Amino acid sequence: MTLTLLLLIPFLGALGLSLWPRTLCEVVARRTAIVLLIIQLLLSLRVIFLFDSTDGGMQLQEGLYWLSSLGLDYRLGIDGLSLPLVLINAVLTLVAAIVSRSISQRPRLYFCLLLVISGAVNGAFLSQNLLLFFLFYELELIPLWLLISVWGGSNRAYAATKFLIFTAVSGMLILGAFLGLAFATGSVDFSLTPVTTLQLSMGGQILLLSALLIGFGIKVPLFPFHTWLPDAHTEASTPVSVLLAGVLLKLGTYGILRFGMGLFPEAWSVLAPGLAIWAAISVLYGSLAAIAQVDMKRMVAYSSVGHMGYVLLAAAAATPVSLLGSVFQMVSHGLISALLFMLVGVVYKATGTRNLDVLRGLLNPERGLPLTGSLMILGVMASAGLPGMAGFISEFLLFRGSIEKFPIATLLSMVGSALTAVYFLLLVNRAFFGRLAVTPVDPNSGPLDIRIPASTLVEQLPSLMLAGSVVFIGLWPTSLASITESATNSMAQLMSTLSIVLPIGVTP
Amino acid sequence: MPTALPLPLQTVWLIPVYGFAGMVLSLPWATGWIKRNGPRPAAYLNLLITLVAVVHGSIVIGEVLELGPQHLSFGWFQVADLDLRIGFDLSLINLAALELVTFMSFICQVFALGYLDKEWALARFYGLVGFFEGAMSGVVLSSNLFMSYFLLEMLTLSTYLLVGFWYAQPLVITAARDAFLTKRVGDVLLLMGVVCLSAWAGSMEFTDLYAWSAQHKLAPLTSNLLGLALIAGPMGKCAQFPMHLWLDEAMEGPNPASILRNSVVVTCGALVLIKLMPLLQQAPLATTVLLSVGAVSAIGGALVAIAQVDLKRACSYLTTSYLGLVFIAIALQQPAIAILMLLAHGLAKALLFMSVGSVIATTNCQDITELGGMASRMPATTLAFLVGSAGLVGFLPLGCYWCYGIIVESIKATSPLMAAVFIITNFLTALNLTRLFRSVFMGKSMPKTRRTPEVNWLMALPMVSLSVIVVLLPWIMALLDPIPGINSFSLPVAALVFSSGLIGLVSGSLLHLDSFWSRSRTQSLRVLQDLLALDFYTPDIYRSTIVAFVAGLARLANWFDQAVVNGFVNGIGRLSLITAEGLRQGVSGQLQSYVLTLIVAIILLLTVVQFWYS
Repeated sequence: MTLTLLLLIPFLGALGLSLWPRTLCEVVARRTAIVLLIIQLLLSLRVIFLFDSTDGGMQLQEGLYWLSSLGLDYRLGIDGLSLPLVLINAVLTLVAAIVSRSISQRPRLYFCLLLVISGAVNGAFLSQNLLLFFLFYELELIPLWLLISVWGGSNRAYAATKFLIFTAVSGMLILGAFLGLAFATGSVDFSLTPVTTLQLSMGGQILLLSALLIGFGIKVPLFPFHTWLPDAHTEASTPVSVLLAGVLLKLGTYGILRFGMGLFPEAWSVLAPGLAIWAAISVLYGSLAAIAQVDMKRMVAYSSVGHMGYVLLAAAAATPVSLLGSVFQMVSHGLISALLFMLVGVVYKATGTRNLDVLRGLLNPERGLPLTGSLMILGVMASAGLPGMAGFISEFLLFRGSIEKFPIATLLSMVGSALTAVYFLLLVNRAFFGRLAVTPVDPNSGPLDIRIPASTLVEQLPSLMLAGSVVFIGLWPTSLASITESATNSMAQLMSTLSIVLPIGVTP
Repeated sequence: MPTALPLPLQTVWLIPVYGFAGMVLSLPWATGWIKRNGPRPAAYLNLLITLVAVVHGSIVIGEVLELGPQHLSFGWFQVADLDLRIGFDLSLINLAALELVTFMSFICQVFALGYLDKEWALARFYGLVGFFEGAMSGVVLSSNLFMSYFLLEMLTLSTYLLVGFWYAQPLVITAARDAFLTKRVGDVLLLMGVVCLSAWAGSMEFTDLYAWSAQHKLAPLTSNLLGLALIAGPMGKCAQFPMHLWLDEAMEGPNPASILRNSVVVTCGALVLIKLMPLLQQAPLATTVLLSVGAVSAIGGALVAIAQVDLKRACSYLTTSYLGLVFIAIALQQPAIAILMLLAHGLAKALLFMSVGSVIATTNCQDITELGGMASRMPATTLAFLVGSAGLVGFLPLGCYWCYGIIVESIKATSPLMAAVFIITNFLTALNLTRLFRSVFMGKSMPKTRRTPEVNWLMALPMVSLSVIVVLLPWIMALLDPIPGINSFSLPVAALVFSSGLIGLVSGSLLHLDSFWSRSRTQSLRVLQDLLALDFYTPDIYRSTIVAFVAGLARLANWFDQAVVNGFVNGIGRLSLITAEGLRQGVSGQLQSYVLTLIVAIILLLTVVQFWYS
């Protein structure tokens, strides 16, 4: 019942908020949402205690027959792959609700949508039925579209539409692959059992897997399907960016691991070398494009393209260490990019700009943003993979797990890690070092110093918490590994047994 | 087993933790939570905790002398076939290096109390030094490659933050950036090596790696590439050509941090290289690269130093130069002598930098053309400069004289060319230090040096005590009793070292010095001077090659993203809108034509299906 509660709390909360008969002011709506999300977080933490970390399979399974004739059953379960993501979802939605202050219009709708997203993401991570996953995957789309197009920046209509079209195409490809799988194998139970060449020829498998890869690749996003992400981030408000980068992108990588690799292990090992190259290209492309950005938010968005590419590399290698690294990378990218987006949001709120050509010297202790600046240094160092923080151990696991299978792609990805240091160092150096000035340094007018309203410690509490958890995972990675390891081990074992069978299976 | 060991040995892991704890303890003052009574308490806490580290280290030395070398190992992270451990190798050499690190950290912190007297961010400085000290203590004790890498990278981060301490100044921004990126390039290359070794050899303990490397023959290309990756990290840390440009720019940071950087940080880098050396047996290319990098850095660094007019930079290029010599010694399989050299250099160079620091603190000037005649008014500083210089040059029988003697004696037969590099570097260093001494302390007073009282006791005390230690160093070295003994070199070698120092001293004193000397009017000399003063144009070369390359790639990627990827998507969007607009015009509104279209379409479809299946 616990897993169902993880869905019921946000959904019923959203329903209650929207149907509440009297007018709700913003404060009440926000507090209600925060309370509901805290309950959701506590419940997710309870799942850890119910969870048996030595078992690599699905646990706490529950289900109801729903539309069995269509193959759509309500079946939930959780394993070491989805548990960290459920936790990240709970934490980051709560953080997003906390940092949602002074919502200009329709606060009630805003918080309803946040809750719906959180519930839908939980549903997608917990679903044990392909169609059910697809329902939740699509369900999260509309609220996010509304969040961007109602509460977004000046060019929000363009960005929101782009996001909607891209993600809708992604959904169609995924549904197509699921239906194709059902028709090709002739069974309509839509369960998570891997197909073998006995059921479906290798050509068919590769076709369906490619559809899945492109579908989830749009969501991750991987080059060249990433172009919706920088626009969506630039126009979205800070809490929405936190959700988008921290939680929703993980649906893509989760889908690749769970369905791409889980359903088509044989085709996966055929395509793996190509996927590794694709990952390396995505990493390098995202990192290089990030160097050229002058908008801080766009820079962080492109860095997401790069850093999510690592997950594909690790998935392609499919060794126990690399798969564990991919889960680590999903978690640490979620925490770090959420932290960076929040800090950029603070800068934007205080100065009204995110342009790196304009901002200078924000680390100034008296009139600048010293705490934000210090946290920003921590965040970018974590993202660049400095030891002692979550980014390093994730990257180390990824590279260590992948280098034997794909040395070239791994080394190229490590170059991407060096490039991360370049662009994030430029960000810190430009915006935070130097003499405080927010107007362009023009020889005629001269820099105009400004007074930035000091941010209180309470406002920074969510960022401090995220920074703390980044350091915590970096110093004590066993905490995360202990819940994930058996799941990734059994996934890797499945892959290795099937790729031994493969030479016979390849011949059509 | 660890349980049988005495308590100070068991808790040796606390020594790096002391440094990090110092950082955490400084936080309330550094962040401004505690504003009353100023930031001094953070400094006192850090001093106290560093003193604890020094004492703990010396107790451990005593016990190791009694019980013999120990190895402690704790599990950190174990998954699948990966086992990452925290390991401490308690050999006497490592512990001596640890004492050097913690003692130097302590003495620099005392010095900093005087030097940064009125600094508002004093607590932040002490926090960063604590972090620095913790990382360094860990590196010297580490018994495995993963932990060494982990802490080296932390050193990179703290160097960045210490160089960027006065982050509001424009030069500091570029200096911090260059310091981080140059070291980061070295670190990422090292990480590539670490990842490969971890995947191939399994265990990351140095001893296991040596055994693995002795048993497994890799392909020549692979082992050479691996060797190059492994030496890249120490090269960046020790500021060797071509990754040296950060060290002189790093002089923009506060002086007490420069003392640490020039004496112990480079020592840490070289110690890691010594630990990596047995892995390079199969990589002749890496050894050749080490030798040539060392030689180029030694002579190039010394030449560049002679052309500097900035006091701090002139001394920091000497560090590059001297570490080049250490690299040569390591590459020629003389680790014991290399460690002696590091000890002698670390102490003497720290003393030199303290003296430089007190000159800068008194005059607020580090341009030697504007300094002069300070010897009569600043006796302790002058003495420190003299002793430090004497300790760095093979002339008087202080530390480096003996080091030069042993190393030249042991390599003169096998590689006379490298022995010559040592002698030439000694000559150039002596020349440069004499030049610096003459322009700063001798001659007539300049406007900026009219009123120069001696520095306060907080700076003078560490300086004087370190002077005494540098003078006593030969005795300490004799006590350590390395193999071969420190005076085991022949008379001709001794004469050679002595005379190269003497010639340097004499030519340094005969050199024509005035403020115009810095840029000669003779065309050919001027070209040479510019070449050296601007560090062989290395910053420009970097800017026009690798920086331009990466920036160009980034612009290309951005253009491609905007024009091709985004353009394609927008194009499809526009196309569909235009098509829709166009089709809208084509709708007639007549029901008959719709029905006709439908019927024609159905007939066509049926015909196709008919043909398909017949």
